[in-house]
This record gives sequence, structure tokens and C-alpha cells, in this order.
Amino acid sequence: MARLNDDAQWIILMGFLISFSFFFLAIIINQSTVVGQTTAESVIEFPKNDIRDITGVITYNTTLSNDPVVNTDISVISLNRKNAIVKYSVTLPLSNETHSQAFIHYNNGVTEYNETWTSL
Amino acid sequence: MDPRGGNPLRKDNPCAGRANSDGQLYTIEGIAAGLIMIMTAYLVVNATSVYTAGDTHISDMQLEQLGSDVLKIMDTPENVTVNSELQMILGGATVDGARFKSRFLALSNNRTQLNRDHIQFDASYTCRKQDNSTVTIPLSSSRNLTGGEHAVRVTKWVIVDKAFCDLPATKPRAVLVEVLMWRD
Repeated sequence: MARLNDDAQWIILMGFLISFSFFFLAIIINQSTVVGQTTAESVIEFPKNDIRDITGVITYNTTLSNDPVVNTDISVISLNRKNAIVKYSVTLPLSNETHSQAFIHYNNGVTEYNETWTSL
Repeated sequence: MDPRGGNPLRKDNPCAGRANSDGQLYTIEGIAAGLIMIMTAYLVVNATSVYTAGDTHISDMQLEQLGSDVLKIMDTPENVTVNSELQMILGGATVDGARFKSRFLALSNNRTQLNRDHIQFDASYTCRKQDNSTVTIPLSSSRNLTGGEHAVRVTKWVIVDKAFCDLPATKPRAVLVEVLMWRD
């Protein structure tokens, strides 16, 4: 660079600094869209209706859902038709109790959901 | 005379007689600047388009919610002593597909305006056999599936006081009602 006029090097330097700072800002803006995408995707992937459906049918009538045939029905059909492992157990109230309890486990490979439910 | 490198044709120029490499720095600088400009343009153009997965799936989610609500309404009994409509449809001596069709279409196509929505459906239900395989039986449909529909699936578990599949005397049973629904 010996023969170049280097009187204004600081201007070049400032130019570099400013353009690099623009780079970083642009990268940050770019990355922010990825955050929005993953959030939206996780909302869509969460099987809200499936989980509501399962908990709804189990807790609506615990005497019915406690039946072992019904329990097997729900496990087997879940696995076959909805690709989800569903396991649950119901504890009906004893003579001196008023609440029934249900332990519900749901796993479709992406979302794992466990619930302990107690009747009113 | 070229102030940067001197005249290559002059005998006193140290570079005379071989390839003139005086412009190398400028070339490298030009390439670097070009790359920086291209990358900046790429980043700026990219930053303006916000990709969200919701763009294409929001209408699907709404349709799924609508169908889920319709099935929930159909599975809610009027009071605790009677069966829900879905239980009556599945639990009768013969499965009442026509009743399901009229109820489902009425509930899903209802709008605040006078004209109805154009939602079509294809419904089936699944029960478990003795060997733990499943059988899916058509329930009813408003259109034949051609394969070109952009359908969403909604499901509803129903516990019915009736024997299903090849377990004749066992009841109650849980069956899964599955509905494919789409707008045409």
C-alpha cells in the first residue's frame, strides 16, 4: 500500500465498522423470524384436541372408563388410529370417600402429557 | 503517468517486462466489497419476509376446531340420565348414519349469514377386535372422497353401552369416531 494515499484511513475504518454493525443487526433481524416460526410450529404440533378428547372421555364417567375392556379399547385404538400411546388408571372412591381419581398418560412421540385428575 | 504503478513501458519501472500486478489490491478489495454487498442484499431481502408455519395452517386449525366442537356438542347429553346424540347414533340396533349426517352438516355449516358454509365430511368409527386389531367401519358421508380434498381429521371418543366388533357380549365399549372434513 506504500504508493496509495492513506490520509483518510480512519474514514475507511469507520465505514467498515458501520457496515459490520449493519451485518450483525441484519443477522439478528433474520434470526428473530426463526423464533416466530418455531413458536408457531410448536403451537400447531401440540395435540390439544386429542388430549382434551382423551381426558374428556375418561373423566366424564369414571365408572365406565374404569371398565378394563374400555381401557383396552382406548389404548389399542389410540395406538392404531392416532399413533399415540395412552395409558390411564382410574381409582373409584371407597366407601368413605367422595372423589374419584384418574392418572392419564399420553405420548404421541412429539408431545408427552401426564395428568392427575380428581373429581369434584 | 499512472501515479500508482508507473508506466510499464518505461525502462526505469521495476515492474517493466513482466505482468503488471499493481491493481491486485484494488481487485481484491473490489471482490470483497462485492461479496459484502451481495450478502447484505441477501440478508436484507431475507429479513423482510417473515416465515411462520401458521401461514398455511391457520385455516386448517380453525376447521379442526370447528369439527372438534361439533363432535363435542353431539356427544354432550341433555342431562346426566340420558345418552348423548352420538351415543344414540352408535348405540342403536343399527348405526344411524343418516342422523349423524343431518346433525353434523347442520352444526358445522351453520353461519350467522343466511347462506350456509360448504363443509363436507366423511365419517367412520373404529372398534377393537378380540385379537387387538382394529376395524374401521364407514358411518356416513356427504361426499365421496376423491383424494383431492384438503381434509383435516377430527376425532371423538365415545363410550357406548353396546357390543362392537367380535366381542358379542361385552359392553360398554369405547369406539373412536373419526371425521374427515373439508370445504369444497
